[in-house]
Amino acid sequence: MAEPALRDTAMPAVDVRNLSLVYRSRDRAVNALSNVDLQVERGSFVSLIGPSGCGKSTLLRVLGDLLAPTSGTVLLDGRAPRAERLDRRIGFVFQDPALPEWRTILANVALPLELRGTPRADREAQARELIDLVGLTGFEGAYPRQLSGGMRQRAAIARALSTKPRLLLLDEPFGALDQITRDRLNLELMHIHEVTRVTVVLVTHSIREAVLLSDRIVVMTPRPGRISRILEDRLPRPRRLQTRDLPDYEDLVRLGNSALERGYAHV
Amino acid sequence: MVLRLVEEAGPPIVVLVVLIAFWEWACHAFGIKTYVLPAPSSILGAFIKGSNTLLYHAGITAFEAMAGFVIGSALGALIGTAFAYSRFLARGFLPYIIAANTIPVVAIAPIIIIWFGHGIGSKIAVTAFLSFFPLALNMMKGLQSYDRVVMDVFHIAAATPTQAFFKMRLPSALPYVFVGLKLNVTFSVIGAIVAEFVQADRGLGFVIMTSYRSMAMPRLWAAMLLSALMGIVFFLIVAALERVFVPWHASMDPGR
Ligand SMILES: Nc1ncnc2c1ncn2[C@@H]1O[C@H](COP(=O)(O)OP(=O)(O)O)[C@@H](O)[C@H]1O
Ligand SMILES: [Mg+2]
Repeated sequence: MAEPALRDTAMPAVDVRNLSLVYRSRDRAVNALSNVDLQVERGSFVSLIGPSGCGKSTLLRVLGDLLAPTSGTVLLDGRAPRAERLDRRIGFVFQDPALPEWRTILANVALPLELRGTPRADREAQARELIDLVGLTGFEGAYPRQLSGGMRQRAAIARALSTKPRLLLLDEPFGALDQITRDRLNLELMHIHEVTRVTVVLVTHSIREAVLLSDRIVVMTPRPGRISRILEDRLPRPRRLQTRDLPDYEDLVRLGNSALERGYAHV
Repeated sequence: MVLRLVEEAGPPIVVLVVLIAFWEWACHAFGIKTYVLPAPSSILGAFIKGSNTLLYHAGITAFEAMAGFVIGSALGALIGTAFAYSRFLARGFLPYIIAANTIPVVAIAPIIIIWFGHGIGSKIAVTAFLSFFPLALNMMKGLQSYDRVVMDVFHIAAATPTQAFFKMRLPSALPYVFVGLKLNVTFSVIGAIVAEFVQADRGLGFVIMTSYRSMAMPRLWAAMLLSALMGIVFFLIVAALERVFVPWHASMDPGR
Protein backbone atom coordinates (compact mmCIF):
# COMPACT_ATOMS: atom_id res chain seq x y z
CA MET A 1 0.00 0.00 0.00
CA ALA A 2 1.06 3.59 -0.48
CA GLU A 3 2.20 5.68 2.47
CA PRO A 4 -0.82 6.61 4.64
CA ALA A 5 0.00 10.31 4.38
CA LEU A 6 -0.20 10.16 0.60
CA ARG A 7 -3.32 8.04 0.58
CA ASP A 8 -5.25 10.39 2.82
CA THR A 9 -4.38 13.67 1.15
CA ALA A 10 -3.98 12.89 -2.53
CA MET A 11 -6.72 12.59 -5.08
CA PRO A 12 -6.69 9.30 -6.95
CA ALA A 13 -4.12 8.84 -9.71
CA VAL A 14 -6.86 7.26 -11.76
CA ASP A 15 -10.54 8.06 -11.32
CA VAL A 16 -12.88 6.31 -13.73
CA ARG A 17 -16.61 6.87 -13.34
CA ASN A 18 -19.40 5.13 -15.19
CA LEU A 19 -17.20 4.56 -18.20
CA SER A 20 -18.70 2.88 -21.25
CA LEU A 21 -17.16 2.32 -24.64
CA VAL A 22 -18.87 1.01 -27.74
CA TYR A 23 -16.90 0.12 -30.87
CA ARG A 24 -19.12 0.88 -33.84
CA SER A 25 -18.44 -0.49 -37.26
CA ARG A 26 -20.73 -0.46 -40.29
CA ASP A 27 -22.67 -3.59 -39.40
CA ARG A 28 -22.30 -4.06 -35.67
CA ALA A 29 -21.56 -2.47 -32.32
CA VAL A 30 -19.39 -4.06 -29.62
CA ASN A 31 -19.97 -3.08 -26.01
CA ALA A 32 -16.32 -3.27 -25.02
CA LEU A 33 -16.78 -1.55 -21.63
CA SER A 34 -19.94 -1.00 -19.66
CA ASN A 35 -20.33 1.15 -16.55
CA VAL A 36 -16.80 0.75 -15.31
CA ASP A 37 -15.84 2.47 -12.05
CA LEU A 38 -12.27 2.36 -10.88
CA GLN A 39 -10.12 4.37 -8.52
CA VAL A 40 -6.38 3.86 -8.31
CA GLU A 41 -4.42 5.40 -5.48
CA ARG A 42 -1.34 7.39 -6.33
CA GLY A 43 1.77 5.28 -6.19
CA SER A 44 -0.11 2.00 -6.04
CA PHE A 45 0.14 -0.99 -8.32
CA VAL A 46 -3.08 -2.29 -9.84
CA SER A 47 -3.53 -5.27 -12.13
CA LEU A 48 -6.37 -5.83 -14.59
CA ILE A 49 -7.14 -9.45 -15.24
CA GLY A 50 -9.85 -11.27 -17.15
CA PRO A 51 -10.50 -13.46 -20.15
CA SER A 52 -9.45 -12.05 -23.48
CA GLY A 53 -12.02 -9.77 -25.04
CA CYS A 54 -13.23 -8.39 -21.69
CA GLY A 55 -11.97 -4.90 -22.50
CA LYS A 56 -8.66 -4.71 -20.62
CA SER A 57 -6.76 -3.20 -23.53
CA THR A 58 -9.67 -0.90 -24.27
CA LEU A 59 -9.68 0.39 -20.71
CA LEU A 60 -5.93 0.94 -20.78
CA ARG A 61 -6.13 2.76 -24.10
CA VAL A 62 -8.81 5.06 -22.68
CA LEU A 63 -6.55 5.82 -19.72
CA GLY A 64 -3.71 6.62 -22.14
CA ASP A 65 -5.93 8.85 -24.31
CA LEU A 66 -5.49 6.55 -27.28
CA LEU A 67 -9.27 6.06 -27.31
CA ALA A 68 -12.13 8.37 -26.32
CA PRO A 69 -14.86 6.90 -24.11
CA THR A 70 -18.42 6.71 -25.42
CA SER A 71 -19.68 7.94 -22.06
CA GLY A 72 -18.47 8.48 -18.52
CA THR A 73 -15.54 10.41 -17.14
CA VAL A 74 -11.89 9.66 -16.67
CA LEU A 75 -9.56 11.79 -14.58
CA LEU A 76 -5.85 11.24 -14.01
CA ASP A 77 -4.64 13.16 -10.98
CA GLY A 78 -7.73 15.28 -11.44
CA ARG A 79 -7.03 16.12 -15.07
CA ALA A 80 -8.26 14.89 -18.43
CA PRO A 81 -6.17 12.08 -19.92
CA ARG A 82 -5.49 14.30 -22.95
CA ALA A 83 -3.86 16.96 -20.77
CA GLU A 84 -1.78 14.33 -19.00
CA ARG A 85 -0.74 12.79 -22.31
CA LEU A 86 0.21 16.11 -23.86
CA ASP A 87 2.32 16.85 -20.77
CA ARG A 88 3.92 13.42 -21.32
CA ARG A 89 2.92 12.20 -17.89
CA ILE A 90 1.74 8.83 -19.15
CA GLY A 91 4.04 5.94 -19.98
CA PHE A 92 2.67 3.04 -22.03
CA VAL A 93 4.24 -0.35 -22.65
CA PHE A 94 2.62 -2.65 -25.19
CA GLN A 95 2.98 -6.40 -25.65
CA ASP A 96 5.05 -5.59 -28.73
CA PRO A 97 8.15 -3.61 -27.68
CA ALA A 98 7.63 -1.43 -30.80
CA LEU A 99 11.20 -0.16 -30.99
CA PRO A 100 11.84 1.48 -34.38
CA GLU A 101 14.51 -0.76 -35.88
CA TRP A 102 16.60 2.12 -37.24
CA ARG A 103 17.21 3.56 -33.79
CA THR A 104 19.78 2.30 -31.33
CA ILE A 105 18.58 1.33 -27.87
CA LEU A 106 19.82 4.68 -26.57
CA ALA A 107 17.96 6.59 -29.28
CA ASN A 108 14.86 4.50 -28.70
CA VAL A 109 14.83 5.13 -24.96
CA ALA A 110 15.50 8.83 -25.56
CA LEU A 111 12.77 9.11 -28.21
CA PRO A 112 10.01 10.68 -26.05
CA LEU A 113 12.53 13.23 -24.74
CA GLU A 114 13.64 13.93 -28.29
CA LEU A 115 10.03 14.54 -29.30
CA ARG A 116 9.69 16.90 -26.35
CA GLY A 117 12.71 18.86 -27.55
CA THR A 118 15.13 17.98 -24.76
CA PRO A 119 18.71 18.79 -25.89
CA ARG A 120 20.69 15.77 -27.00
CA ALA A 121 23.21 15.70 -24.16
CA ASP A 122 20.46 15.94 -21.54
CA ARG A 123 18.20 13.33 -23.05
CA GLU A 124 21.04 10.89 -23.60
CA ALA A 125 22.22 11.27 -20.02
CA GLN A 126 18.68 10.59 -18.79
CA ALA A 127 18.27 7.67 -21.16
CA ARG A 128 21.53 6.14 -19.91
CA GLU A 129 20.24 6.26 -16.34
CA LEU A 130 17.06 4.46 -17.35
CA ILE A 131 18.97 1.93 -19.39
CA ASP A 132 20.94 1.26 -16.23
CA LEU A 133 17.74 0.99 -14.18
CA VAL A 134 16.34 -1.73 -16.47
CA GLY A 135 19.67 -3.56 -16.62
CA LEU A 136 20.63 -2.89 -20.22
CA THR A 137 23.93 -1.13 -19.57
CA GLY A 138 26.35 -1.96 -22.36
CA PHE A 139 23.63 -2.21 -25.01
CA GLU A 140 23.16 1.53 -25.59
CA GLY A 141 24.56 1.32 -29.11
CA ALA A 142 22.87 -1.94 -30.08
CA TYR A 143 19.98 -2.12 -32.51
CA PRO A 144 16.69 -3.71 -31.38
CA ARG A 145 17.06 -6.76 -33.58
CA GLN A 146 20.36 -7.58 -31.88
CA LEU A 147 18.53 -7.98 -28.56
CA SER A 148 16.40 -10.79 -27.15
CA GLY A 149 12.67 -10.34 -26.64
CA GLY A 150 13.11 -9.75 -22.91
CA MET A 151 15.81 -7.14 -23.46
CA ARG A 152 13.66 -5.33 -26.01
CA GLN A 153 10.83 -5.20 -23.52
CA ARG A 154 13.22 -3.75 -20.93
CA ALA A 155 14.10 -1.03 -23.43
CA ALA A 156 10.40 -0.36 -24.01
CA ILE A 157 9.90 0.00 -20.25
CA ALA A 158 12.85 2.39 -20.01
CA ARG A 159 11.40 4.44 -22.87
CA ALA A 160 8.00 4.59 -21.15
CA LEU A 161 9.72 5.93 -18.03
CA SER A 162 11.84 8.51 -19.86
CA THR A 163 9.50 11.47 -19.42
CA LYS A 164 9.08 10.65 -15.71
CA PRO A 165 5.40 9.73 -16.05
CA ARG A 166 3.00 9.77 -13.11
CA LEU A 167 1.11 6.84 -14.56
CA LEU A 168 2.64 3.74 -16.14
CA LEU A 169 0.28 1.61 -18.24
CA LEU A 170 1.42 -1.88 -19.23
CA ASP A 171 -0.66 -4.03 -21.59
CA GLU A 172 0.46 -7.65 -21.22
CA PRO A 173 4.07 -6.53 -21.49
CA PHE A 174 5.47 -9.97 -20.74
CA GLY A 175 2.86 -11.99 -22.61
CA ALA A 176 5.26 -13.06 -25.33
CA LEU A 177 8.12 -14.02 -23.04
CA ASP A 178 9.15 -17.34 -21.50
CA GLN A 179 8.54 -18.00 -17.81
CA ILE A 180 12.12 -17.42 -16.63
CA THR A 181 12.41 -14.10 -18.45
CA ARG A 182 8.98 -13.20 -17.16
CA ASP A 183 10.00 -13.81 -13.54
CA ARG A 184 13.09 -11.67 -13.98
CA LEU A 185 11.14 -8.84 -15.54
CA ASN A 186 8.55 -9.06 -12.77
CA LEU A 187 11.39 -8.52 -10.31
CA GLU A 188 12.61 -5.55 -12.34
CA LEU A 189 9.12 -4.12 -12.43
CA MET A 190 8.81 -4.41 -8.64
CA HIS A 191 12.15 -2.67 -8.33
CA ILE A 192 11.14 0.12 -10.72
CA HIS A 193 7.88 0.60 -8.86
CA GLU A 194 9.73 0.85 -5.55
CA VAL A 195 12.32 3.28 -6.89
CA THR A 196 10.08 5.59 -8.92
CA ARG A 197 6.82 5.25 -6.96
CA VAL A 198 5.01 5.63 -10.27
CA THR A 199 1.38 4.53 -10.29
CA VAL A 200 1.15 1.31 -12.30
CA VAL A 201 -1.80 -0.27 -14.09
CA LEU A 202 -0.80 -3.66 -15.47
CA VAL A 203 -2.89 -5.85 -17.75
CA THR A 204 -1.96 -9.49 -17.36
CA HIS A 205 -3.30 -12.95 -18.10
CA SER A 206 -1.50 -14.44 -15.14
CA ILE A 207 -3.22 -14.36 -11.75
CA ARG A 208 0.10 -15.39 -10.15
CA GLU A 209 1.84 -12.41 -11.68
CA ALA A 210 -0.99 -10.13 -10.55
CA VAL A 211 -0.92 -11.42 -6.96
CA LEU A 212 2.86 -11.13 -6.79
CA LEU A 213 2.98 -7.52 -7.97
CA SER A 214 -0.22 -5.74 -7.06
CA ASP A 215 -1.86 -3.79 -4.29
CA ARG A 216 -5.21 -4.44 -5.92
CA ILE A 217 -6.37 -6.90 -8.54
CA VAL A 218 -9.28 -5.89 -10.73
CA VAL A 219 -11.10 -8.89 -12.19
CA MET A 220 -13.09 -8.20 -15.34
CA THR A 221 -15.76 -10.13 -17.22
CA PRO A 222 -16.63 -9.91 -20.92
CA ARG A 223 -19.69 -9.03 -22.99
CA PRO A 224 -20.12 -6.36 -22.00
CA GLY A 225 -16.76 -5.72 -20.38
CA ARG A 226 -17.18 -4.80 -16.76
CA ILE A 227 -15.47 -5.11 -13.40
CA SER A 228 -16.71 -8.15 -11.49
CA ARG A 229 -14.51 -8.08 -8.42
CA ILE A 230 -11.64 -6.16 -6.84
CA LEU A 231 -9.21 -8.08 -4.61
CA GLU A 232 -7.05 -6.34 -2.03
CA ASP A 233 -3.54 -7.77 -2.01
CA ARG A 234 -1.82 -6.93 1.30
CA LEU A 235 1.18 -9.21 0.98
CA PRO A 236 4.18 -7.58 2.69
CA ARG A 237 6.36 -5.22 0.70
CA PRO A 238 8.95 -5.17 -0.66
CA ARG A 239 7.87 -8.17 -2.69
CA ARG A 240 10.41 -10.77 -3.72
CA LEU A 241 10.05 -13.92 -5.77
CA GLN A 242 10.02 -15.70 -2.38
CA THR A 243 6.78 -13.87 -1.61
CA ARG A 244 5.24 -16.67 -3.63
CA ASP A 245 6.10 -19.11 -0.85
CA LEU A 246 3.81 -17.35 1.66
CA PRO A 247 0.52 -19.11 2.48
CA ASP A 248 -1.32 -15.82 1.91
CA TYR A 249 0.01 -15.77 -1.63
CA GLU A 250 -1.64 -19.09 -2.47
CA ASP A 251 -4.86 -17.95 -0.79
CA LEU A 252 -4.98 -14.88 -3.00
CA VAL A 253 -4.24 -16.91 -6.11
CA ARG A 254 -7.14 -19.21 -5.20
CA LEU A 255 -9.42 -16.24 -4.60
CA GLY A 256 -8.38 -14.71 -7.90
CA ASN A 257 -8.94 -17.92 -9.79
CA SER A 258 -12.41 -18.42 -8.40
CA ALA A 259 -13.27 -14.79 -9.22
CA LEU A 260 -12.00 -15.43 -12.74
CA GLU A 261 -14.01 -18.62 -13.04
CA ARG A 262 -17.17 -16.85 -12.02
CA GLY A 263 -16.26 -14.39 -14.75
CA TYR A 264 -15.98 -17.17 -17.29
CA ALA A 265 -19.42 -18.41 -16.24
CA HIS A 266 -20.80 -15.24 -17.84
CA VAL A 267 -19.19 -15.99 -21.18
CA MET B 1 35.09 -6.75 -46.94
CA VAL B 2 37.52 -7.34 -49.82
CA LEU B 3 36.83 -11.05 -49.56
CA ARG B 4 33.07 -10.44 -49.81
CA LEU B 5 33.62 -8.25 -52.85
CA VAL B 6 35.64 -10.97 -54.56
CA GLU B 7 33.01 -13.51 -53.57
CA GLU B 8 30.19 -11.42 -55.00
CA ALA B 9 31.88 -10.00 -58.08
CA GLY B 10 33.87 -13.13 -58.95
CA PRO B 11 31.24 -15.37 -60.55
CA PRO B 12 29.66 -12.71 -62.82
CA ILE B 13 33.12 -11.63 -64.06
CA VAL B 14 34.11 -15.21 -64.87
CA VAL B 15 30.84 -15.76 -66.72
CA LEU B 16 31.33 -12.50 -68.65
CA VAL B 17 34.85 -13.37 -69.76
CA VAL B 18 33.85 -16.88 -70.85
CA LEU B 19 30.80 -15.54 -72.70
CA ILE B 20 32.80 -12.91 -74.59
CA ALA B 21 35.47 -15.45 -75.52
CA PHE B 22 32.85 -17.88 -76.83
CA TRP B 23 31.10 -15.10 -78.73
CA GLU B 24 34.34 -13.99 -80.38
CA TRP B 25 35.24 -17.57 -81.24
CA ALA B 26 31.75 -18.39 -82.60
CA CYS B 27 31.66 -15.33 -84.88
CA HIS B 28 34.88 -16.44 -86.54
CA ALA B 29 34.31 -20.20 -86.41
CA PHE B 30 30.84 -20.03 -88.02
CA GLY B 31 31.57 -17.00 -90.21
CA ILE B 32 28.63 -15.04 -88.79
CA LYS B 33 27.99 -11.88 -90.84
CA THR B 34 28.85 -8.65 -89.04
CA TYR B 35 25.38 -7.14 -89.57
CA VAL B 36 23.82 -10.21 -87.94
CA LEU B 37 26.13 -10.38 -84.96
CA PRO B 38 29.34 -8.37 -84.82
CA ALA B 39 32.21 -9.99 -82.93
CA PRO B 40 33.21 -8.35 -79.63
CA SER B 41 36.45 -7.24 -81.23
CA SER B 42 34.65 -5.33 -83.99
CA ILE B 43 32.29 -3.74 -81.45
CA LEU B 44 35.33 -2.67 -79.45
CA GLY B 45 36.88 -1.38 -82.66
CA ALA B 46 33.79 0.68 -83.43
CA PHE B 47 33.79 2.00 -79.90
CA ILE B 48 37.46 3.02 -80.00
CA LYS B 49 37.11 4.59 -83.43
CA GLY B 50 34.09 6.64 -82.44
CA SER B 51 34.75 6.92 -78.75
CA ASN B 52 34.69 10.71 -78.65
CA THR B 53 31.32 11.07 -80.31
CA LEU B 54 29.90 7.97 -78.60
CA LEU B 55 30.84 9.29 -75.18
CA TYR B 56 29.42 12.70 -76.06
CA HIS B 57 26.10 11.11 -77.01
CA ALA B 58 26.19 8.88 -73.93
CA GLY B 59 26.72 12.01 -71.82
CA ILE B 60 23.60 13.61 -73.35
CA THR B 61 21.52 10.50 -72.65
CA ALA B 62 22.91 10.17 -69.13
CA PHE B 63 22.00 13.78 -68.41
CA GLU B 64 18.46 13.34 -69.76
CA ALA B 65 18.00 10.11 -67.80
CA MET B 66 19.32 11.58 -64.55
CA ALA B 67 17.37 14.83 -64.82
CA GLY B 68 14.19 12.93 -65.71
CA PHE B 69 14.82 10.48 -62.88
CA VAL B 70 15.26 13.25 -60.33
CA ILE B 71 12.26 15.28 -61.50
CA GLY B 72 10.00 12.23 -61.92
CA SER B 73 11.03 10.75 -58.58
CA ALA B 74 10.54 14.06 -56.78
CA LEU B 75 7.05 14.45 -58.27
CA GLY B 76 6.30 10.81 -57.50
CA ALA B 77 7.40 11.22 -53.89
CA LEU B 78 5.23 14.33 -53.44
CA ILE B 79 2.14 12.83 -55.05
CA GLY B 80 2.66 9.52 -53.20
CA THR B 81 2.86 11.42 -49.91
CA ALA B 82 -0.35 13.31 -50.70
CA PHE B 83 -2.07 9.99 -51.49
CA ALA B 84 -0.82 8.43 -48.27
CA TYR B 85 -2.35 11.27 -46.26
CA SER B 86 -5.59 11.73 -48.20
CA ARG B 87 -7.87 8.82 -48.93
CA PHE B 88 -9.93 11.11 -51.12
CA LEU B 89 -7.00 12.05 -53.35
CA ALA B 90 -5.78 8.47 -53.50
CA ARG B 91 -9.18 7.06 -54.41
CA GLY B 92 -9.94 9.88 -56.82
CA PHE B 93 -6.70 9.88 -58.76
CA LEU B 94 -5.26 6.37 -58.51
CA PRO B 95 -7.52 4.72 -61.13
CA TYR B 96 -6.50 7.33 -63.71
CA ILE B 97 -2.86 7.22 -62.76
CA ILE B 98 -2.81 3.45 -63.12
CA ALA B 99 -4.59 3.79 -66.47
CA ALA B 100 -2.06 6.39 -67.63
CA ASN B 101 0.71 4.07 -66.51
CA THR B 102 -0.46 1.42 -68.96
CA ILE B 103 0.02 3.77 -71.95
CA PRO B 104 3.11 2.58 -73.84
CA VAL B 105 5.83 5.18 -73.59
CA VAL B 106 6.34 5.13 -77.39
CA ALA B 107 2.74 6.30 -77.78
CA ILE B 108 3.02 9.16 -75.33
CA ALA B 109 6.53 10.29 -76.31
CA PRO B 110 5.48 12.10 -79.56
CA ILE B 111 2.83 14.04 -77.65
CA ILE B 112 5.30 15.08 -74.96
CA ILE B 113 7.78 16.12 -77.64
CA ILE B 114 5.15 18.33 -79.26
CA TRP B 115 4.50 19.93 -75.86
CA PHE B 116 8.09 20.32 -74.71
CA GLY B 117 9.88 20.99 -78.01
CA HIS B 118 12.71 19.31 -79.88
CA GLY B 119 15.47 19.93 -77.37
CA ILE B 120 16.68 18.00 -74.37
CA GLY B 121 13.72 19.22 -72.30
CA SER B 122 11.23 16.92 -73.99
CA LYS B 123 13.50 13.87 -73.45
CA ILE B 124 13.71 14.76 -69.77
CA ALA B 125 9.92 15.10 -69.69
CA VAL B 126 9.39 11.63 -71.21
CA THR B 127 11.85 10.15 -68.71
CA ALA B 128 10.16 11.97 -65.84
CA PHE B 129 6.77 10.69 -67.00
CA LEU B 130 8.09 7.13 -66.97
CA SER B 131 9.88 7.37 -63.62
CA PHE B 132 6.99 8.97 -61.80
CA PHE B 133 4.60 6.08 -61.19
CA PRO B 134 6.83 3.58 -59.43
CA LEU B 135 7.83 6.04 -56.74
CA ALA B 136 4.34 7.51 -56.33
CA LEU B 137 2.90 4.05 -55.69
CA ASN B 138 5.75 2.84 -53.50
CA MET B 139 5.85 6.08 -51.54
CA MET B 140 2.15 5.75 -50.78
CA LYS B 141 2.45 2.11 -49.80
CA GLY B 142 5.59 2.80 -47.77
CA LEU B 143 4.09 5.68 -45.82
CA GLN B 144 1.11 3.49 -44.96
CA SER B 145 3.22 0.54 -43.90
CA TYR B 146 4.31 1.87 -40.52
CA ASP B 147 3.91 -0.21 -37.37
CA ARG B 148 0.62 0.74 -35.66
CA VAL B 149 2.07 0.11 -32.19
CA VAL B 150 5.01 2.42 -32.93
CA MET B 151 2.43 5.02 -33.92
CA ASP B 152 0.77 4.52 -30.52
CA VAL B 153 4.17 5.09 -28.91
CA PHE B 154 4.51 8.36 -30.81
CA HIS B 155 1.00 9.30 -29.79
CA ILE B 156 1.63 8.63 -26.12
CA ALA B 157 4.76 10.78 -26.40
CA ALA B 158 2.61 13.60 -27.85
CA ALA B 159 4.46 13.70 -31.17
CA THR B 160 3.31 16.28 -33.70
CA PRO B 161 2.22 15.02 -37.15
CA THR B 162 5.43 16.49 -38.58
CA GLN B 163 7.52 14.57 -36.05
CA ALA B 164 5.55 11.40 -36.79
CA PHE B 165 6.25 11.90 -40.50
CA PHE B 166 9.98 12.52 -40.30
CA LYS B 167 10.85 10.27 -37.38
CA MET B 168 8.56 7.36 -38.13
CA ARG B 169 6.55 7.19 -41.34
CA LEU B 170 9.32 8.33 -43.66
CA PRO B 171 11.99 6.00 -42.22
CA SER B 172 9.47 3.13 -42.34
CA ALA B 173 8.79 3.99 -45.98
CA LEU B 174 12.44 4.01 -47.06
CA PRO B 175 12.66 0.32 -48.06
CA TYR B 176 9.65 0.91 -50.34
CA VAL B 177 11.08 4.18 -51.60
CA PHE B 178 14.18 2.34 -52.74
CA VAL B 179 12.13 -0.31 -54.52
CA GLY B 180 10.55 2.58 -56.45
CA LEU B 181 13.86 4.34 -57.06
CA LYS B 182 15.47 1.16 -58.42
CA LEU B 183 12.61 0.73 -60.87
CA ASN B 184 12.79 4.41 -61.82
CA VAL B 185 16.49 4.43 -62.44
CA THR B 186 16.16 1.53 -64.88
CA PHE B 187 13.15 3.11 -66.59
CA SER B 188 14.93 6.44 -66.84
CA VAL B 189 17.54 5.18 -69.33
CA ILE B 190 14.81 3.42 -71.32
CA GLY B 191 12.70 6.59 -71.29
CA ALA B 192 15.52 8.80 -72.54
CA ILE B 193 16.44 6.42 -75.36
CA VAL B 194 12.84 5.87 -76.48
CA ALA B 195 12.31 9.64 -76.56
CA GLU B 196 15.46 9.99 -78.68
CA PHE B 197 14.14 7.33 -81.06
CA VAL B 198 11.04 9.41 -81.68
CA GLN B 199 12.91 12.61 -82.37
CA ALA B 200 16.46 13.72 -81.57
CA ASP B 201 19.69 14.94 -83.09
CA ARG B 202 21.90 13.66 -80.29
CA GLY B 203 22.02 10.97 -77.59
CA LEU B 204 22.52 7.21 -77.68
CA GLY B 205 19.01 6.67 -79.06
CA PHE B 206 19.91 8.95 -81.94
CA VAL B 207 23.17 7.00 -82.51
CA ILE B 208 21.28 3.69 -82.50
CA MET B 209 18.74 5.02 -85.04
CA THR B 210 21.34 6.49 -87.41
CA SER B 211 23.59 3.42 -87.13
CA TYR B 212 20.61 1.23 -87.96
CA ARG B 213 19.76 3.29 -91.04
CA SER B 214 23.34 3.04 -92.32
CA MET B 215 23.71 -0.58 -91.17
CA ALA B 216 26.70 0.36 -89.01
CA MET B 217 25.97 -2.59 -86.74
CA PRO B 218 29.16 -2.64 -84.61
CA ARG B 219 28.52 1.03 -83.78
CA LEU B 220 24.89 0.23 -82.96
CA TRP B 221 26.05 -2.57 -80.67
CA ALA B 222 28.57 -0.27 -79.02
CA ALA B 223 25.84 2.32 -78.35
CA MET B 224 23.48 -0.37 -77.10
CA LEU B 225 26.07 -1.78 -74.70
CA LEU B 226 26.90 1.73 -73.48
CA SER B 227 23.25 2.32 -72.63
CA ALA B 228 23.11 -1.00 -70.79
CA LEU B 229 26.26 -0.08 -68.87
CA MET B 230 24.70 3.26 -68.01
CA GLY B 231 21.61 1.56 -66.61
CA ILE B 232 23.75 -0.78 -64.52
CA VAL B 233 25.89 2.04 -63.12
CA PHE B 234 22.82 4.10 -62.21
CA PHE B 235 21.26 1.08 -60.55
CA LEU B 236 24.41 0.41 -58.53
CA ILE B 237 24.51 4.03 -57.39
CA VAL B 238 20.94 3.77 -56.09
CA ALA B 239 21.71 0.40 -54.48
CA ALA B 240 24.72 1.97 -52.74
CA LEU B 241 22.55 4.84 -51.49
CA GLU B 242 20.12 2.25 -50.14
CA ARG B 243 22.90 0.69 -48.09
CA VAL B 244 23.71 4.10 -46.67
CA PHE B 245 20.14 5.18 -45.91
CA VAL B 246 18.46 1.89 -45.01
CA PRO B 247 21.19 -0.12 -43.30
CA TRP B 248 18.65 -1.69 -40.93
CA HIS B 249 16.51 -3.19 -43.63
CA ALA B 250 16.26 -6.96 -43.35
CA SER B 251 17.08 -7.67 -46.98
CA MET B 252 20.47 -6.02 -46.37
CA ASP B 253 21.32 -8.23 -43.43
CA PRO B 254 24.70 -9.81 -44.12
CA GLY B 255 23.85 -12.55 -41.62
CA ARG B 256 20.79 -13.60 -43.57
N1 LIG C 1 -10.91 -1.51 -32.88
C1 LIG C 1 -11.91 -2.33 -32.53
N2 LIG C 1 -13.05 -2.36 -33.26
C2 LIG C 1 -14.08 -3.17 -32.92
N3 LIG C 1 -14.06 -4.00 -31.85
C3 LIG C 1 -12.97 -4.00 -31.08
C4 LIG C 1 -11.82 -3.18 -31.38
N4 LIG C 1 -10.87 -3.41 -30.45
C5 LIG C 1 -11.39 -4.33 -29.60
N5 LIG C 1 -12.65 -4.69 -29.98
C6 LIG C 1 -13.53 -5.62 -29.28
O1 LIG C 1 -13.76 -5.10 -27.99
C7 LIG C 1 -13.72 -6.13 -27.03
C8 LIG C 1 -12.64 -5.84 -26.00
O2 LIG C 1 -11.37 -5.89 -26.63
P1 LIG C 1 -10.00 -5.66 -25.83
O3 LIG C 1 -10.11 -4.41 -25.06
O4 LIG C 1 -8.91 -5.77 -26.81
O5 LIG C 1 -10.02 -6.91 -24.86
P2 LIG C 1 -8.83 -7.56 -24.03
O6 LIG C 1 -7.66 -6.66 -24.08
O7 LIG C 1 -9.38 -7.75 -22.66
O8 LIG C 1 -8.54 -8.89 -24.66
C9 LIG C 1 -13.48 -7.43 -27.79
O9 LIG C 1 -14.72 -8.05 -28.00
C10 LIG C 1 -12.90 -6.98 -29.08
O10 LIG C 1 -13.24 -7.86 -30.12
MG1 LIG D 1 -5.71 -6.99 -24.88
